[in-house]
Amino acid sequence: MLGSEFLLVLFFTSILAGALGSIVGLGGGVIIIPILTILLGVDIHLAIGASIVSVIATSSGAAATYVKDKMTNLRIGMFLELATTAGAIFGAAVAAYANSFFLELVFGGILLVSLLPLVRQLGEDIPPKPELQGLAKRLSLRGSYTETDGTVVDYNATGPKRGLVGMFAAGLISGLLGIGSGTFKVLSMDLAMKLPMKVSTTTSNFMIGVTAAASAGIYFARGDVDPFIVAPVAIGILIGAFIGTRLLLRARNPTVRKVFALVLAVTAVEMILRAFGV
Amino acid sequence: MNGILSRVLRFGVLIAAAILIFGTALLIANYSSANSSDFVTYTPNQIPHSSVVVSLSAIPQGIATLDPFAIIELGVIVLLATPVSRVLCSIFLFAAERDTAYVKITLVVLILLLFSIIVTPFIPIFNA
Repeated sequence: MLGSEFLLVLFFTSILAGALGSIVGLGGGVIIIPILTILLGVDIHLAIGASIVSVIATSSGAAATYVKDKMTNLRIGMFLELATTAGAIFGAAVAAYANSFFLELVFGGILLVSLLPLVRQLGEDIPPKPELQGLAKRLSLRGSYTETDGTVVDYNATGPKRGLVGMFAAGLISGLLGIGSGTFKVLSMDLAMKLPMKVSTTTSNFMIGVTAAASAGIYFARGDVDPFIVAPVAIGILIGAFIGTRLLLRARNPTVRKVFALVLAVTAVEMILRAFGV
Repeated sequence: MNGILSRVLRFGVLIAAAILIFGTALLIANYSSANSSDFVTYTPNQIPHSSVVVSLSAIPQGIATLDPFAIIELGVIVLLATPVSRVLCSIFLFAAERDTAYVKITLVVLILLLFSIIVTPFIPIFNA
């Protein structure tokens, strides 16, 4: 393949990945890694390096808008980043001793199982508002945002400790496997903390940049970040994220939930296939 | 708080994008007729397809000679710096709101983040 064709394919794939990732709160590695490895024949190390950069680009590109529009919950995001960064460091430290076949199988399985509660609440708009108590109350883990039609949505978080455990797992996976942390973050906020779907995806989007930055130093130093691959990916992702944020602000919660469920299913299958070396 | 953080993120992203677009333009000018298979094989501990070996100190030299790979690396570093500067700014913004609990939380996140970015590449178990 000609260099120029290679750059173009990556650029347009990345626009799609950036748009989708910024809507459902993940970094677009789900799309970029298989395109790179299967379609373009890129080494998996370089694909993961590109995926890490794509996560940071999606996060910073989309968060600028989501934070301004108060869709992202900054306090919930900061609080949970304690667990994700700690998890990411721990994951990177034990990665050399971990069996990636086993890990990918287990985490792929967890994702598949978590589809069940997600599908049961597929049509749900805003979850029933829990009472704010305990740690969630002390750290004021609540918020409100305004839909484009003017409706104000007030919400409280529940289960902050369950949220931390889920987020530690999310960080652990990104440290261990270099991928898959956005889906686990959205799931933790959605299932454990009962936040509205759009708050979960935008807050996950806000957090994934920090988790990815935590592990990026290692990938960068090792030479896994290939400029030839990363440049079209980063530019495409930023354009895609710009488009995606406009779509999310107008989208309804159930729509976002449906798109997320679909992406989750694909991520789970991809992870299990990866375990078997596909 | 939201307004300032949003601007920090946007500023970082725009600078990174400008550098990356410039680097990519040079890349297309120089390598568009090259075969992509030359770029997709993996060599650890080296910036691929460039005489520049991975180290921050080697990047300025590459930029001076308008090496597209070094310029793109710089763009990626700026992009990497945006989430870090966002965390750093949050500390001051929470302090301005006199929210000590969140100043502490954010400080711990920043320390973990800097440890991970700066220190761990030099610890052998993280590089195995």
